Amino acid sequence: MSLANRMALASPQIRALCVEANEFPRLSAEFGVRGVPHTVINRAGAFVGALPERDFVAAVLDGAGIPVEESPGAGGPSTEFSG
Amino acid sequence: MISGMALIPEHVRAQLKARFDLRLSGPVHLTLYTRPGWSRLILPAGVGCATCEDARQMADLLKDAAPEKVTLDVVDTSRDPGRASADGVDDIPTIAIGASTEAGQIRFQGLPTGTEFPALIDAVERVSRAEHDLSPASLADLAKLSEPTEVMVFATPT
Repeated sequence: MSLANRMALASPQIRALCVEANEFPRLSAEFGVRGVPHTVINRAGAFVGALPERDFVAAVLDGAGIPVEESPGAGGPSTEFSG
Repeated sequence: MISGMALIPEHVRAQLKARFDLRLSGPVHLTLYTRPGWSRLILPAGVGCATCEDARQMADLLKDAAPEKVTLDVVDTSRDPGRASADGVDDIPTIAIGASTEAGQIRFQGLPTGTEFPALIDAVERVSRAEHDLSPASLADLAKLSEPTEVMVFATPT
């Protein structure tokens, strides 16, 4: 969640929202949260697990529909991006 | 008033004050969206706000640790539902963190305890110092965003 917060600080386009999953079970169920951290971009594409900065940024751009160049290390075993 | 606070031990508050003394530089504005009194109501699941009072204590903790730099605006969503809607706040309690009195774009929905508490402290410090520490390549990529983009991260206290 720290990376999301840092991105919100760096970009006026980004809003970072950290949700306490246990406290909002309906919202968690709506987005299929089964492990944390579970990150959802624009309430659509999602990935599970902590990512390095460059991969996280690439995932955010991907979720926002912006083409990105392949980043080394993207798509590791704990990461599954589904839109 | 935090002297009766049960949520945060005294030694943690002292540590936070010492830490903020060293690490905060510019102003930080917190907006807490809440419904005062709802923590005491017994309501059907999903209707009440079991953590609103604790969230108020946590917001007060942050403000009281550096009152000369941290300001707090408390929005009672039962009295002012339009404010939460205008600020894009869906549920309570939500703490928004920003550098100005506008609703901040770093938000914590629910009570940020456990592993989320350090992230809350980190966010306050980074906003105060305008310090994102992202690489130039990441900044160049983020500059491609032309529309508002929400990054929602589900977390748990443990």
